[in-house]
Amino acid sequence: MLEARGLPTVTIGLVRLHLEAVKPPRSVFTPFQLGRPLGEPDEAAFQRRVLVQALALLERRDGPVILEDFPDDAPGASDQRGWTPPLVSAAADPATPEVWAAALAREMALLRPAWERARTRRRRTTVGVSGQPPEAWPNFMAAFLAGGLPTVPAHETSALALRFLIDDLKAFYGEAAQANGPAPSSGQIDRWFWRQTVAARFIITLREACLHADNNALRTVAGRFFVPVPYLPA
Amino acid sequence: MARIDDIPEPTRSHILHLDCPSFDSSPFVDGPPLARRRVAMISSAAIHARNEPPFPFGSAEFRRLPSSLDAGDIVMSHVSVNFDRHGFQRDVNVVYPIDRLRELAAEGVIGSVAETHYAVMGSTDPAAMQITADQVAGLLQQDRVDAVLLVPV
Repeated sequence: MLEARGLPTVTIGLVRLHLEAVKPPRSVFTPFQLGRPLGEPDEAAFQRRVLVQALALLERRDGPVILEDFPDDAPGASDQRGWTPPLVSAAADPATPEVWAAALAREMALLRPAWERARTRRRRTTVGVSGQPPEAWPNFMAAFLAGGLPTVPAHETSALALRFLIDDLKAFYGEAAQANGPAPSSGQIDRWFWRQTVAARFIITLREACLHADNNALRTVAGRFFVPVPYLPA
Repeated sequence: MARIDDIPEPTRSHILHLDCPSFDSSPFVDGPPLARRRVAMISSAAIHARNEPPFPFGSAEFRRLPSSLDAGDIVMSHVSVNFDRHGFQRDVNVVYPIDRLRELAAEGVIGSVAETHYAVMGSTDPAAMQITADQVAGLLQQDRVDAVLLVPV
């Protein structure tokens, strides 16, 4: 679209099939995980290689269509043996919304120092789309589990408020898991989060409850946007 | 890992059967040497400034990402939960390589970094993005951009 408007473009693409179908004028296929077009976080030299290969296509005159392959896998795609997952609660699933909220609050308190360290170390956090502080999350989630539809000023609907709160919760845990030591693979973080934490069990429990809610938006959001496909209950 | 066989179902089937847009023409715009180009980025990761509202689902809107925007002020509100965000949590450059671009400009590999970059919601139907493309193209041209790096997630 932009090339037709006079702007030279180059695309970094994670799905070769789509590059072959769409035929952008210049593109580099990078064989990395979805969500990581530059390959590897905290690996400036690797990111630079990807970027330079892509930008170099702007000097080619033999298009359209130019499609190159980046030759290497991302260095951090494999699991990191030296990574130790943060300690979380191993208690049985709570029976009531109030007890779920208390269990999540306890687990978040355990992880809070690691999250704060990560925030200090990186001078940033990706937590923030919910419009609510972490202290408010457990009770807000519990209110939905109890059948309520609470709202916050930051979002137009209850469904969106809950969706983005769950994004923040996952980001909080993801950042805490990467606070110390060697960086885990994304798969390690996901397996830890979805199989070991109270937070994930709460999200999955809440999803089940929301799927039976009267509110159509809540049913849609819960069904599609709470849990990644590999971790959906059977 | 984004080799198609590595992507779990049903995301793999969704990707395989996605209706990709086709175009009547294949424009190919030339330009000066890379060392004289002014480069902008467009991310489809639905990233935006922390003080802005999330991208609505299915939104065709775009957000401005000033080059000066601190990484600590960038958040993501993409609709999909089926791509990795842990990399972005560690390093904004894995999605939006603003530091790398600045380094390439400082070294003279590229001419300069645009004043403003842009973000869209990657899951939106491309057919709904024509007006956005017009608007962003106009803004890029005002900024004298002559190289655009498209960075989907």
